[in-house]
Amino acid sequence: MLLPMAGHADPVRIGSKQFTESVILGELARASARQVGIDAVHKRQLGGTRILWRALLQGDIDVYPEYTGTLTHELLKNVPANADIPTLRARLKPLGIGITDSLGFNNTYAIGMRADEAKRLGIARISDLRRHSGLRFGFSNEFMDRNDGWPGLRRRYDLPQKDVRGMDHALAYRALASGAVDAIDLYSTDAEIPYYHLRTLDDDLHYFPRYEAVYLYRLQLEQSAPRFVAALNRLAGRIDEQAMRGMNARVKLQGVEEGVVAADFLGLRADADGHPELWSRLLQRTLEHTKLVLISLGLAVLLAIPLGVLAARLRRFGQIVIGLTGILQTVPSLAMFVFMIPLFGIGAWPAIAALFLYSLLPIVRNTHAGLVGIAPELSESAAALGLPPGVRLRRVELPLATRSILAGIKTAAVINVGTATLAALIGAGGYGQPILTGIRLDDIGLILEGAVPAALLALIVQGMFEGIERWLTPRGLRLVARQ
Amino acid sequence: MTLTRVALQDSESATTSAFAIRQVSKRYGSVMAVDNLSLDFEAGTTTALIGSSGSGKSTVLRLLLGLEWPDRGTVSIGGHPLEPGQVLQLRRRVGYVIQEGGLFPHLTAQGNLALLPHYLGWDAARIGQRTKELAELTHLPLAALERYPAELSGGQRQRVALMRGLMADPDALLLDEPLGALDPIVRYELQDELKRIFAELNKTVILVTHDLPEAAWFAERLVLMRKGAVIQDGCFEDLRDHPADAFVARFVAAQRQLPRVPR
Repeated sequence: MLLPMAGHADPVRIGSKQFTESVILGELARASARQVGIDAVHKRQLGGTRILWRALLQGDIDVYPEYTGTLTHELLKNVPANADIPTLRARLKPLGIGITDSLGFNNTYAIGMRADEAKRLGIARISDLRRHSGLRFGFSNEFMDRNDGWPGLRRRYDLPQKDVRGMDHALAYRALASGAVDAIDLYSTDAEIPYYHLRTLDDDLHYFPRYEAVYLYRLQLEQSAPRFVAALNRLAGRIDEQAMRGMNARVKLQGVEEGVVAADFLGLRADADGHPELWSRLLQRTLEHTKLVLISLGLAVLLAIPLGVLAARLRRFGQIVIGLTGILQTVPSLAMFVFMIPLFGIGAWPAIAALFLYSLLPIVRNTHAGLVGIAPELSESAAALGLPPGVRLRRVELPLATRSILAGIKTAAVINVGTATLAALIGAGGYGQPILTGIRLDDIGLILEGAVPAALLALIVQGMFEGIERWLTPRGLRLVARQ
Repeated sequence: MTLTRVALQDSESATTSAFAIRQVSKRYGSVMAVDNLSLDFEAGTTTALIGSSGSGKSTVLRLLLGLEWPDRGTVSIGGHPLEPGQVLQLRRRVGYVIQEGGLFPHLTAQGNLALLPHYLGWDAARIGQRTKELAELTHLPLAALERYPAELSGGQRQRVALMRGLMADPDALLLDEPLGALDPIVRYELQDELKRIFAELNKTVILVTHDLPEAAWFAERLVLMRKGAVIQDGCFEDLRDHPADAFVARFVAAQRQLPRVPR
């Protein structure tokens, strides 16, 4: 997690946010590294701005593409809204972070409407929205909350609209096209603007700052991989708005791999790393996914069974433990994953920690229920024999509770298989990865590539546990159940 | 047939009471299960505790085993006061058999029998030897040892439960309605066998039953309880011919209507 940068044997780790342009810029960085013979891995679509920024500060990644407006309005405190890149560079240096010059385009936020609708209502500028209080807005979730997003926009333009919903950016275009919402936030380099015949409204009060694209990188790279830093800086000024919109369109509208688009831009041949074959992709994701489930479940079993035993022994303690694990269960899974990042960084470990916490309740509760549910004459017969409590627990009580405990583990495992698909949001990979990409690219095939194996794995886990149950349940208990 | 004696009984216990209850009270919520009760049980005798449900007779057994602790008063076994620190050891000197046997369903009959001896560190040969002796004593077919409780008949389950109580050769046997769940024919046969077994073992036996003829069949001393107190303590003839009060008379009269009459 907080490991210092090792020598150049370690590959440079590139991160990207959860939208197409960021992934393309991540691939561009990876291709540039390859061009100068530096080993690099790209952790795609790790999440939103906060996750990437924290990952960079903590050293979980070395580089990611960012925008100057986000730095001035969101990430750095007390920076003038129009700060230029040298100013930002000076402010980032104490944090151990470097910044390239502008890559050459300004991808600012904009508000967009369907062109025909805008014409009908006579809307050309954002101020014109004030006259139409009934319009429905669908904004990306990040835009809803950012300082430079909707709250500030509403204040600056004194906008009256009440029907404002947060949604995924890729889905917002479809909502707009189908008429489910009337206006959405856009990035000015989005490929969909011409495709859906959208009108971007004039920011007549100059609310949105400039969003020059840059790479942020850890300054250690200047020692450990100077050629890579030089290659990143050579990209500065080479990508104009037209070029970026073109690359976005190739990925989003023509379905070309980000890696291919990036390699084409640099005049390289694409390598296999960006898009392995279906089967090797599936295999890798299955390994990642089962690793998450198995480790989290194994650790949970080790803690939850003793907790369940104690809960059955000590009534008060039991109420507290079951109450606490129950509260854990109510934490929304996405939030749980993000909470783990400050503790464990990004990647598999925070995901395992979150899944571990989710697994506790079913196992603790079922261990407790299994022990408490033992017929009193049986626990008493064991006591009357003169066996000490530990022997009674091992030889009589736990075997009698086997079924209930296994059912708890099975529940935890099946829930884990499903919840682990969210782990891709924090860079842990697994079946969630193609689902995320599929949502981003509006590609049902990709979504199914993650969803179908996840469902199958859940079924396999369920089947396996039924086998284990049959194998571990003492024969005498099965006889009782049959009668 | 002789039984290998691994008695923990000390020389004094022949002269002192095997069990003594002194001014014991035990309350469950608002119910007084045992109310200022004092009782002695002589070593080597068979006593039956009788009474209706809720009279406190089962609670007496549970107090003797330390499965319940008195709110007031003392319980002692073989002259030793029952204390939490020694309760496990004292329990091993007492066999306990309950209605339907209380056998562990996840273990075979053999597994049920071996549980305590395993813990005591007996080797397989010693466990096998003891099992064989007790199977002969209780007339349990050896084949039944491999079966799980669910595969045994009700009578076989009670025989295994009795064997389990006797494995470590305790000084005393406490039985709580041991034949309560059996059909009349099996019950009748087992009454015969149990009486023979008690005679062969020559141990202190305390038996709880609500069935007066059964009590009279097994025990020379009957203790009739009601609402946590002893109403009458004597032999069957005392209860029948000199009932201490109207309740005893009614209890005896009610039982006498059963078709089976004690011999």
